[in-house]
Amino acid sequence: MDLSLTTEHEEFRRRARQWIAENLEQTWSQALRDPNNDEHALVEVRRAWQKKRYAAGYLGMSFPPEWGGRGASGVEEAILAEELARADAPEHVNFLGIGLCAPALIHHGSEEQRRRFIPPMLAAEEVWCQGFSEPGAGSDLASLRTKAELDGDFFVLNGQKCWTTYGPYADWIFVLARTDPKDRYGGISFLLVDLKSDGIDMRPLKQITGESEFGEVFFENVRVPKANLVGEVGEGWKIAMTVLGYERGAGTLSMAMRLGNDLRALIAAARDLGLDDSATRRTLGKLVVDWQVLYSNGLRTLANMADGQAPGPESSIEKLFWSEFDQRMREAALDILGAGGQLSRFVPDSRQDVDWPRDFLWSRAETIFSGSSEIQRNIIAKRVLGLPQG
Amino acid sequence: MRFELSDDQRLLRDATTDFLSNESPMATSRAISEAEGEGFSRQQWKKLAELGYLGLLAPEAAGGQALGAIELAVVLQQMGRVCFAGPYLDVVLAAKVLEAAGGRDELLSAVVVGDRIVTIARADGIWPTEGNHVRFADGRVEGTKVFVPFAESADVLLVTTDAGLVLAEAPFEVEAMPTLDEAQRFSKVTLSGAADLIGGNNLIDEVADLAEIGAAAVALGICEAALEASVRYATERETFGKPIGVYQVLQHRMADMVLRTESSRATVFRAAWCVDNDSADRAIAVAAAKQYAVESANRIARDALQIHGGNGFTWEYDIHRWLKLAVTLDQRYGSRDELLERALAEAEAL
Repeated sequence: MDLSLTTEHEEFRRRARQWIAENLEQTWSQALRDPNNDEHALVEVRRAWQKKRYAAGYLGMSFPPEWGGRGASGVEEAILAEELARADAPEHVNFLGIGLCAPALIHHGSEEQRRRFIPPMLAAEEVWCQGFSEPGAGSDLASLRTKAELDGDFFVLNGQKCWTTYGPYADWIFVLARTDPKDRYGGISFLLVDLKSDGIDMRPLKQITGESEFGEVFFENVRVPKANLVGEVGEGWKIAMTVLGYERGAGTLSMAMRLGNDLRALIAAARDLGLDDSATRRTLGKLVVDWQVLYSNGLRTLANMADGQAPGPESSIEKLFWSEFDQRMREAALDILGAGGQLSRFVPDSRQDVDWPRDFLWSRAETIFSGSSEIQRNIIAKRVLGLPQG
Repeated sequence: MRFELSDDQRLLRDATTDFLSNESPMATSRAISEAEGEGFSRQQWKKLAELGYLGLLAPEAAGGQALGAIELAVVLQQMGRVCFAGPYLDVVLAAKVLEAAGGRDELLSAVVVGDRIVTIARADGIWPTEGNHVRFADGRVEGTKVFVPFAESADVLLVTTDAGLVLAEAPFEVEAMPTLDEAQRFSKVTLSGAADLIGGNNLIDEVADLAEIGAAAVALGICEAALEASVRYATERETFGKPIGVYQVLQHRMADMVLRTESSRATVFRAAWCVDNDSADRAIAVAAAKQYAVESANRIARDALQIHGGNGFTWEYDIHRWLKLAVTLDQRYGSRDELLERALAEAEAL
């Protein structure tokens, strides 16, 4: 066992931390509190930050150099993510494109597609959103019905996608569409669709937080050039499962850092407010324990990655753990802060460190997106325990 | 970076598994714990000594292996799986205290070869409101300790007193304190006689990290074994013509057991690594490891009992062994309240 970073990795961490300190103008919590920043302005904050990171080589680092990356290892990606979280840096604007679509192109796309799409994606010139979920297909994604029919050199796309994060701000969408109604998994294809195409209607979808970061998008006879098919017809499911593996496996350490920052803000709030009764301290103590468990899980994943171990079921375990831990923490914040914890950041005299009511509401989404807790438990029961299937 | 055990650590794990499956599988551990008598096997104890387990942490000069927290965790994880009977953790910790105190080489060597048994008498009262009852003056110790592990078998006790840590030789007046776990041999010990002062009570605090790692590793073993038993049972047991493992409500219960077991594993071994490398976050890591692994062992043992239905409530099935040991661990080697408070205090100081 050895949980220490190599000197090269320590040096990388030091340089990344220094670069962030010198280049981050506004932390994310400052940007959120800035009264000049409405939802659109916040998107621009993210875009500007992404451009800076890209210019400095701190984006898509593990991509091959010909696609704007450094050919860096997953360990360096994880260290960078942890440092960004430590500094409370904004998420970059193209996290879905870079996190999901670019890996799909690198592993399954054509040379032409990579050359055309990856550079502007990294440079934040084209923002991407994800077209997987549908009103009738969430956890059971393979029941999706948006259909793409071949007509000459075009696919004709009809249907509806929803929960499209960043949809209202996106230029492109990557879509799973049905190309064969008779083949549940093998009848799905992966398409790249220009949101300026005729026949597209993108509508903001208002969330329980009041924000409209999500959208729903309608396709009516949208013509998609055949050149925008990733992989072969019918390979969409396979591609989607590979890239979702990236999403679920990544970033537990940076999640531990982010949630740890908020937990420490809650601990500081309790102290400021003189809440030192034993019930409060026990609640906070339990959250500290959970936070350390989350960190330990992330450290194990990082060490296994550095050691060249193939990823196992830990991504399901980690997703379950952090999402449910975050909910426990936000619930505890409401309990501990009482009525004051219900005041949003826009109200004078509210706690300005964290937007507790907004983040409480947001945490309810976390056990649903990226594979709900129920789906994660099904995966563990089946793949880890091999329990009999009914 | 590497999370997996080293080759040597893997060998130690395999040797421990072999030893336990040959000498003390669950059925044997149970029989020893349930029998009248000392609550452990002198024959097994001798073998533990021969194989070097009693000197796991002790210095080489005393015939020990001078290994660390990771190796301690490797051994105790396997012992936890079978609820190994006897004061193993107590004795290796006492040996570590003797080493730190210095000047007790003969006794330390005798512990390592299994000739003498030393445990630690620390608790002063059953209830937290009770103060220190034990006084030391003029070479004599007077007073009463409770929850002393395996005092009936101990040749020597290390006793915390108002003046510091003293070493008292048998005989002492011992009265059994049976708790809900039959495998524990706790006693109330009344001391009145000669003793030697060997240092401050802080000598005990200095082995607290190892004690907590050890207890956390036992808990991890409980998590693993109770999970495996549940999966086996759910695959074989049928209701309404199907194995009960097909029902999603049970699948999800077992998925949560996996979540807790794997998270405990990551947390316990990270903490053990922090202790061995004296890293800056060792205090918070150790508190989290002991608290989380023991909480998980308690949760998993209860859920395992539920999954086993009426059978889980019978004496015959093994589930209650794990459940009772998990309950014991919750209050020993750092109680739940102490650990939660320490974890929070450490986070406040970050």
